[in-house]
Amino acid sequence: MSCLMILSCAPYGSRSAKESLDVALVLAAFEQQPAILFLNEGVLQLLPASKCPATHKHIGKIISALEMYDINELWIEQESLDQFGLTKEDLSQPVNVISRAKVSELCSQYDQHMVF
Amino acid sequence: MAGFLYMSDLIKPPALHSPHPSLTYTVIVRCGPHQQGQSLSALEFTKELLVHGHQVLRVFFYQQGVHLSSSLRVMPQDELDLTALWQQLSLDYDLELGVCIAVALQSGIVDQQECRRYELSAVNLAPQFTLMGLGQLASASVESDRLVSFGG
Repeated sequence: MSCLMILSCAPYGSRSAKESLDVALVLAAFEQQPAILFLNEGVLQLLPASKCPATHKHIGKIISALEMYDINELWIEQESLDQFGLTKEDLSQPVNVISRAKVSELCSQYDQHMVF
Repeated sequence: MAGFLYMSDLIKPPALHSPHPSLTYTVIVRCGPHQQGQSLSALEFTKELLVHGHQVLRVFFYQQGVHLSSSLRVMPQDELDLTALWQQLSLDYDLELGVCIAVALQSGIVDQQECRRYELSAVNLAPQFTLMGLGQLASASVESDRLVSFGG
């Protein structure tokens, strides 16, 4: 059963982003490594530690753990990056960039989708 | 709920030779009592699955959804009590209602065991609901044909 997690929560301001990544790690612990697609504000989860507000715990710690859990298939939507004036080089992790037009094709490759 | 007509009002439980094969579902409820519309959709959807003979392996309450498992919410008389509706559905169909333990503890929802462990003053997990780890969501998702999530 292959799973694609679609994460569109901003990293800070609510617990949603952390809780969605927790699900990813638990799935991996059960040997069902999900692929992850970062959409909209979700792309901000991939910013490096220096951009983290001092009062918040940096979500990058969890993001960098993804690799340790063998979650290697990370996707990010080009249009979402554009929306924040970011490029692939601004991100803390190597990711595959995908255009909005191709997202549905990506989704169709997975049995299950978890949307956060 | 005036104005709403649900399929369950129209269709009786499926005949054995139903044209659609029965599937196994896991339902994730991420919306809480304050997102009434979404929470009600989750409940009605789950009910429809059961009425139509599908198997619902588990309903998993996560994020805001954990608040639906509190027995200490008091609703105005003319409003739906979603907790009671979930409990009734669970009784009617022997449906498992799992609540993420980590989020529940952070939201002040505890069962007898956690109440003792953390020496808290009250127990408020509603009957029919069970605290469990995220692993139970992961294992349910492996065994399910469909995973449907509500809220966000």
